[in-house]
Formats: sequence, C-alpha cells, structure tokens
Amino acid sequence: MVSEEGQLYTMEGVAAGIIMLLAAYIAVSTTGIYTTGDTHIPDMQLEQLGSDVLAMMDTPDTAGDSKSDLENFVNTNNGDEFKKMFLSYCNATTSGDLDNLHMSAVVVYRSGGEIREHQFVAPDDNTWTGRENAVRVTRWVQLPSGYHGIPGMDTSRPQAVLVEVLLWRA
Amino acid sequence: MACMNEEGQWIVLMGLLVAVGIFFLALIINQSALVGQTTAEGVLEFPKNDIRDLREAVFDYVRDYEDLLSHGYDDDVKDDIIAISLERKNAVVNFKVDPKVEISGRNLHPVEIRYNNGVTKYDERVYY
Repeated sequence: MVSEEGQLYTMEGVAAGIIMLLAAYIAVSTTGIYTTGDTHIPDMQLEQLGSDVLAMMDTPDTAGDSKSDLENFVNTNNGDEFKKMFLSYCNATTSGDLDNLHMSAVVVYRSGGEIREHQFVAPDDNTWTGRENAVRVTRWVQLPSGYHGIPGMDTSRPQAVLVEVLLWRA
Repeated sequence: MACMNEEGQWIVLMGLLVAVGIFFLALIINQSALVGQTTAEGVLEFPKNDIRDLREAVFDYVRDYEDLLSHGYDDDVKDDIIAISLERKNAVVNFKVDPKVEISGRNLHPVEIRYNNGVTKYDERVYY
C-alpha cells in the first residue's frame, strides 16, 4: 500500500512550481513592450494615404486640362511646390501647424539601358522616426517629348517616369 | 496529513483556480495589442496600389498610342515601364496593345496587362 501521507505537500509543491514558472514568465515578458508601431497598422494607413494623395495630384483639376499638377511639377522639376502640395493634401489637422509628416522623393527614369534616379525632394533634417516605419508610395507619370526640367533626361522622346515618395511620421 | 487541519483545502484549491483564470484573462488582454497585425501585413504585402498604378500608366499609354506609334516612340515608353518596374518594384510586367476593334458600337483597343512580383500574379484583358 502506498502511504497517503504527504499528498497535500505534493499538491502544494506542484502549485508552487506553477506559480514560480508563471512569475518568471511574466517577469521576462515585461521586458518587451509591444506598441502599435510594431503591428504595421499605421504603416498600412500611411501607405494608403500617400497613394491616395499621389492619385489626387495626378488628376487634372478640370475636364479640359490635359496635364495634372503632378505631371507639371515633374515636367518643370519643381520639387518645392510638389512637397508643399503633397504635405498639405496629407495633412489631417484642421488648424495651426501641419501634421508631423515628412517626405523625400525621387524621380526614376530610364536612360538607354540604365535606370537613373533624380532627387526630386530632399529629406529635411528631421529624419528621426522612432519606432514608426517609413513607407514608399509610387506613381507613374508620362512626359511628352520636348520638356526640360529634370537634368540628364533624354528630352527627344516621350517617357514614362516613376515618382517615388518616401513618407514617414516624426 | 497528520497534525494538519484539513478544513479549507477546497477554499485554497478554488482560490488557486480563480488565480489561474485571472491570469489567462490577462494573457488575452495582453494579446489584444496584436489585433490587426496580420491584416495590416497582408494589406502591405498585396500590391494593390502598384497594380492600380500600372493600369493607370498603361491606359495613359493607350490614350497616346496612335501618336506614339506614328512617331515610333511606342516601344520606348513601353520599355520604360517594363525596365523601371523590374528595377524599382521587383515586378515583371508586360502589356500588349492590339489595333482597335469594334466593341458594342465603339472602337476600342484590346489591351493585355500582365503583372507578377513573385507573390502576386495579375493578368487582365481589357478594352480601352
């Protein structure tokens, strides 16, 4: 016959073991803090926002206009105005300062067999993003021949160029 | 069990059970921070905007197709889109514009658009 003495002590020991394991687990797991930035939800929203803004800028203002604002900015290499319009369209505040969004942009074009980049909008000094990720949004723009503006581009033929915007919150 | 008061054993056990229950509820609240992560990653992974943008670019191309063709620039613009897509978007794209055919009383170009970035494949035949 097995002695039944010490049954409660055994149960107590098992319970104490479980509690100690749980305590250790909780202590270790508190060292990592999971923020919304880690779930990529704001990235997804920011990417959609940027894409929508580019689509808006690529739409001519009236039915008669053949060129959109985006096409005009790229055509004349007007990065400053592009940045101003882009950030004001992205803006979600109703008054006071603009939203805390920052951007840089490049225009990608093909020259012969080579793909080249032109820095359209340079990033500002505030490039610290903390835990937020930067997102990249793009839009195709088709330029007619005979334009001028982006240095180094072949002006003798119409081209399709890609406007790439890097967007981040800081 | 000798020399031990056994009354209240059940109370102690139930107390432990409740403690474990509360712990699991806390775990569930802890995991709630992750809600939407998989959705967001799925949305980011799927190149919805890339495909829309490509269609827009192809339609712009088709709009100017006659003009481009008459000056011999049609392949240049097409090569731009194919080469830049491969370089900057890691996507193999192609498209083909056929001569106009009559569709429901209108003359439209049959257009084939193909997109493949290794994860998502998109093919379309459209009249524009």
